[in-house]
Amino acid sequence: MKIRFLSWRPSSRAGVLAVGAILAITAVSFSVAAQQRLSKRYPAGQNVRIELRNISGAIVVESWNKNEIRLSATIETKGTTVTPRQINESFVVDVMSDNRGRGDVGDINFKLQVPVNSSVDLETRRGDIKVADIRSGLVRAHVSSEGDIELTNVTALHVIAQNVIGNIFFDGEFSRGGTYEFKSNKGDITIRIPGDSDFRLVAASPARRIALNDFWNNNFKTQDGRKYVGDVGDGRSSVSVTNFSGQITFMRR
Amino acid sequence: MNCETCQELIHDLIDGSITQRDEFTLNTHLKECLDCDSVRQDLASIVGFCRTQRGQYEAPPNEQAMWLRIRNVIEAELPSKAVSNTESKPSFIGRLMGRTWELTLPQLAASTVAIVLLVSLSTVVGLRRFGGYGGPPEPTKVEASNINDRIFQRQQVIDYWKQRIELNKAHWSAENRAKFETSLKSIDEAIQISMDELNRNPNDDISWEMLNVSLDSKLTILKDYSDL
Repeated sequence: MKIRFLSWRPSSRAGVLAVGAILAITAVSFSVAAQQRLSKRYPAGQNVRIELRNISGAIVVESWNKNEIRLSATIETKGTTVTPRQINESFVVDVMSDNRGRGDVGDINFKLQVPVNSSVDLETRRGDIKVADIRSGLVRAHVSSEGDIELTNVTALHVIAQNVIGNIFFDGEFSRGGTYEFKSNKGDITIRIPGDSDFRLVAASPARRIALNDFWNNNFKTQDGRKYVGDVGDGRSSVSVTNFSGQITFMRR
Repeated sequence: MNCETCQELIHDLIDGSITQRDEFTLNTHLKECLDCDSVRQDLASIVGFCRTQRGQYEAPPNEQAMWLRIRNVIEAELPSKAVSNTESKPSFIGRLMGRTWELTLPQLAASTVAIVLLVSLSTVVGLRRFGGYGGPPEPTKVEASNINDRIFQRQQVIDYWKQRIELNKAHWSAENRAKFETSLKSIDEAIQISMDELNRNPNDDISWEMLNVSLDSKLTILKDYSDL
């Protein structure tokens, strides 16, 4: 038995395996070939507003030192349309509108390079959202179901990050008079800000998993650890964090 | 933000015409003010109910014939009433009301005392008879039904969006369907936890708040997926 196992002989089983492997490789090749790639540049002002409504897939937005927008997309399903529109100071991509009546068009992964002062309003039903190096009036990231949100080096007057399942990470600064809202049902929310930040905080977590760390002070009011309300510094900006079953963590930058 | 401004903005919120900044400010206020939050829930329920019931009250098959019948009935009754009005004598109540009442001060005081005694007596008898006087009300039961009422109202709106989704769900990719179901399940678990907590302690503000947050999340995900 042992000798038979070690000595290789062509058999019907080996043949089936070989054919299977060839078919799998072919399928992957066709899949890659079926993907469409899109890459275009659009002129834009310094304070352009980016609106991207995706159905499913990842979105990455980062700034660059040019007054133009570069949109790159990988489109999974053949025939899917992506038609960006420029209306006044807005740059709008609405996958749902562009493909109305076609049903589920599969994943589209976007990468946008935008001027640093762009306002960014992003939505996807499913998939991760990453925004980096933006200084503007608005950064909004909304994942309808599952996906991580990562906002790195972001300074905006209004920040909204919301998902149902997935982590939310904010690394940036709170502006004077700004509003910041972070909401998740199941995932960790981590907020990394400078130690001298001033804000009024309302943080709620029924799981009692709130760690204010360096930002905790005696003025905070808490209801049995499930909710913290209080000012850090002079409370110049307003921060609301809600997490049902995950951890809320504040970290010094 | 004060409650007056908040309640003006609630209309915009329900219409979907609110700005993001206003929405954030409004939500912050709603978290802290149960009265305004209650107004929002009521309005949302009414609007939702109207939406769900739209088209269910249909016109009668022959509207013109119906109005003709109603007019005939009215016209047929009018002459007989006119005759009876001319022939009838003033009724007892009419005579009573038409009479001038002149009471002395002791008579007035005695009448007042008699009325107060009568009302008190009938209230006590009524309460005893219908079981409302058997002791203090049970707050937990009252509040628990209140929780279910609130859920029921929001549930109607949620059901409307659920129905819309059921029509389109078959066209979704397997992965989209799976993520949607997982997320919805996660929200439903959160709703259930808040409900359980409220059943134990109906006056727990945080559980109310979290219940509202979860219901909002559920509504949002349903709306987002409804046009997929």
